[in-house]
Amino acid sequence: MFSGKNKGALSEFLAGIKDGLPLQLAVIPFGIVFGMVGLEAGLTPLQTFFMSSILFGGASQIVFTQLYATGTPFTILVTTVSAVNLRHILYGLVMSEYLRHLPLYWRILLGYLLTDEAFAISHLRFTQKHSSDAMHYHLLGSGLILWSCWQISTLIGIIAGPTIPDNFQLGFAVPLTFIAVVIPSLTHFPQIFAGVSSGTAALIFQFLPFNLWIIISAICGIIAGTASSYLMDSRDTKTEEKP
Amino acid sequence: MIVWLAIICAGILTFAARFLTLSHLMPKTLPIWLQLAMKFVPVSVLTAIIVPAIFISPETGTLIIQDNLRIGAAIIAIIVAYYTRSTVATIISGLCVIWLLTFWQ
Repeated sequence: MFSGKNKGALSEFLAGIKDGLPLQLAVIPFGIVFGMVGLEAGLTPLQTFFMSSILFGGASQIVFTQLYATGTPFTILVTTVSAVNLRHILYGLVMSEYLRHLPLYWRILLGYLLTDEAFAISHLRFTQKHSSDAMHYHLLGSGLILWSCWQISTLIGIIAGPTIPDNFQLGFAVPLTFIAVVIPSLTHFPQIFAGVSSGTAALIFQFLPFNLWIIISAICGIIAGTASSYLMDSRDTKTEEKP
Repeated sequence: MIVWLAIICAGILTFAARFLTLSHLMPKTLPIWLQLAMKFVPVSVLTAIIVPAIFISPETGTLIIQDNLRIGAAIIAIIVAYYTRSTVATIISGLCVIWLLTFWQ
């Protein structure tokens, strides 16, 4: 992989792994929780384990287990789970500037490895001044370290889950994990407004069948967030226009 | 069997979301409103799952405010998440609070 002239590729690859390492502190407990709740939801150990490589998206996998446990119909389950990963279109959009020239197999591999964390880490590298022809190896490194930790921690969760007694309320780890993801992202009013709207809608629409309230509430949150940031933007431009 | 099919379908759609803009099939840019809307997808979907997981009883499916131990645990977890931004600290603090409250009763 790193023959001859590709010494730069090796150092980019290793830098990707090194830059990605601190983030694994958040990835590993998330993976363990997934492994545990996967079994609790009634999935087999094999289904739980392979979901981590087939889907490879933390939050969406936990959403899958929750919907599966409550007997959600196939179409709604697949739609809701995939909706959680829609944001990845944005990552691809940003990354395509740096990756479009690569051969197809590289773009497929890096597309598969493009998660929140790998995007965050490697985008930092891509926007640095000293760009190189081997920069994509950085994303390969940050993507692979995350992928490996995700598979291993899922396995730990699958093995450790059944040893934990029922009264430890492990299911409660699901909202807690999501709190850990959501709270740091609430940096601007539109984000907070989107969360509050979607949370309120989720309580109001509880009566809907097939867990449809998740997707309906999410749409309410997305509209609330988008509309409020539009309004704030136009208000800001108005104040700027004043003499 | 249907579970495997669901995993594979969701997997394909997720990969499509990641690969779409890296393929040469897509235009280089998306409408601004769509890019903006996508930024609100994670917080909206995840909050829609968090809130009922705290306030709705898993047994009866009704709203519970009084004697709901999960509210206290969630508040502590939110505070910990806000100040530490750490997944480990958030999960462990929330679980410890709910264990303490449960055994206290």
